[in-house]
Amino acid sequence: MIFDWSVVWQHRDALVAGTATTILLTVATMAIAVPCGIAVAILRMYGVAPVRAAATAYVELFRNLPLILVVFWAFYVLPILTGLGLSPLATGLAALVLNVTAYNAETFRAGINSIRRGQVEAAMALGMSRAQALRRVVVPQAVRRILPVLASTWVSLFKDTSLVSVIAVSELSYAAMQVRAQTFRVLEMLTAMAAIYWLLGYPQAKLTDWIQRRYAVSE
Amino acid sequence: MDLDFSVITDHARFLASGVGVTLLLAAVSGVTSLAAGLVVALLRLYGPPWLRPIIVLYIDSMRAIPVLVVLIWTFFALPILTGLTMPPFFAALIGLTVHLAAYAAEIVRAGIESIRPGQTRAAAALGMSRAQAVRRIILPQAIVRTLPAFGSLLSVTIKDTAIASVIAVPELMRQSETIAGQSFQPIEVYTFAMLLYFLMLFPVTRGVDRFYRRVAHLGRS
Amino acid sequence: MSGETATRTKSGGATIIGYRSVVKRFGNFVALDGVSLEVHAGEVVCLIGPSGSGKSTLLRCTNGLEALDGGDIAFEGASLPREERALRAVRRRMGMVFQSFELFPHLTARENVAEGPRTVLRESRAESDRRADALLDKVGLADKAGNYPSALSGGQQQRVAIARALAMEPDVMLFDEPTSALDPETIGEVLNVMKKLADEGMTMVVVTHEMTFARRVGDWIAVFDAGRIVEQGPPAQIFDAPTTERTRDFLSHLGWQG
Repeated sequence: MIFDWSVVWQHRDALVAGTATTILLTVATMAIAVPCGIAVAILRMYGVAPVRAAATAYVELFRNLPLILVVFWAFYVLPILTGLGLSPLATGLAALVLNVTAYNAETFRAGINSIRRGQVEAAMALGMSRAQALRRVVVPQAVRRILPVLASTWVSLFKDTSLVSVIAVSELSYAAMQVRAQTFRVLEMLTAMAAIYWLLGYPQAKLTDWIQRRYAVSE
Repeated sequence: MDLDFSVITDHARFLASGVGVTLLLAAVSGVTSLAAGLVVALLRLYGPPWLRPIIVLYIDSMRAIPVLVVLIWTFFALPILTGLTMPPFFAALIGLTVHLAAYAAEIVRAGIESIRPGQTRAAAALGMSRAQAVRRIILPQAIVRTLPAFGSLLSVTIKDTAIASVIAVPELMRQSETIAGQSFQPIEVYTFAMLLYFLMLFPVTRGVDRFYRRVAHLGRS
Repeated sequence: MSGETATRTKSGGATIIGYRSVVKRFGNFVALDGVSLEVHAGEVVCLIGPSGSGKSTLLRCTNGLEALDGGDIAFEGASLPREERALRAVRRRMGMVFQSFELFPHLTARENVAEGPRTVLRESRAESDRRADALLDKVGLADKAGNYPSALSGGQQQRVAIARALAMEPDVMLFDEPTSALDPETIGEVLNVMKKLADEGMTMVVVTHEMTFARRVGDWIAVFDAGRIVEQGPPAQIFDAPTTERTRDFLSHLGWQG
């Protein structure tokens, strides 16, 4: 049983490209899912009844489905629903966005609701309008509670991008598996794949810890 | 869009077996990861100091590496390393346990650390040993407090079983893929699979929340 | 240490606890700076003084929850052991009641009181339950035996906590500001239980801000300030004719009218 670790170095270009795609997917998903999450949260809290129900249904649905299934489902359904021929990358991105938006909507809603009503009352008792109270008292406090959760969602998202490999999107997992198939160096490539995720993900996890500590809220 | 859902009824039993495997895998790995997580957390809090950095490294590594990668490595690479043959279900069980135990350990640790030091002092004042205090006073309260987090983890466990489809475990996702491929009716099949997963997952968090509301006072010191 | 007089009514009994020049530091902060005090059998010794003056720290040193940095504490003639196992044996002979009650929320009142005898003294369930019921009756809560702490008021919880400590049949009871966290209406019921215990001859060390209680029930008062005892003596002296400036300041701050 001989191991040939040079395979990893030889195919580094493919792995680097895959890593870049992973990072791109993560950033793009969050960039879309954060504003969308805010929008859904607002609809859910302040919309008219049918809108509130629809938003709640959306959030509950996507929080209770495995992402890998959503990826497959998007792959087959989106082209028909939208009439567009979407690339696997776009489909994967769409699935990720649908999923993360739902989680973000819940995070924003819980964050805003966690601010005691007394805070708004105290602000308005000082003479602030409701909008001012929201802007100067509620939002700053809500941000403190929301940021750590968003950081945690980010790290999960980073790992979840691996799931779009099942529809042949060339992110890191897919790239590593391709090289494995070509070279038959199973242990080396799979270990390298795990190691790269670890190298990228470990600092992110530690950063999340730091954010939790810094923004820790004590009542 | 012409949908023909008879493909579902035609393969009902095949899909049902998938549900069975999903639930079995989720249940067994739920139990094993909980047990392992409990041991890891207790070792971290009360065990020898040299063990602590190793445990922290393990936990943080599982936060960095995707489940997909853990499962694939366990199924394809581990047999090469150890020379053992690894049936898919077993590989999935090991992979899921190793990955989820890290999260379970963090939940247990947070639960224990959230208990007021006064409780430990009161137990000590009665003359209890540390083992007695942990077993009879700290852990029972920690278990109550961590119920919501564990409910969430159970939900994640069920979702993660779907990833085991990638290493050919015949759970629901895999069975759905097979039928969808054979019948060329992926929309009907995957939509039905979504319904099944939703029906499995939705009651879990709701049920845990409701149960927790009734017993929460047992953990409030 | 200053201001000690000779009129100590119960000094005839054995010295249950002897504090000799006790020192305790937390980092750079000196919480106890050479405290010496004696507690005799059957006495109620009250520790009073401003917050942060070391009273609670002394109590926690008494049953080994905190380790000393200097000096010595003798319990029933023997110095407090350092080894954990021996220390646990000593703790069984002392009962402690906390400001925050610290009842175990996952156990009913009866189970809370029975927990010590069951787990530590290894009594049978029937035996410890019987003991628990008797003690709950003694503190006036026989009808609440099956309730969880969340269903009890603060005063009721504290009375259960007292019963829990009594279940171990201690030689001395340590009270750490037992009524500070209670609503004014419920303070009385707890103080009554404590007075009853005192009348029965229990040796008690009580950290308290309830000056009326200290005046009426205490046998010996020690006034703390900044980690030292500035004056100690019988209640009549401390409250009616204090000999030190610090004591007078403290009492006037509390609005003590005598």
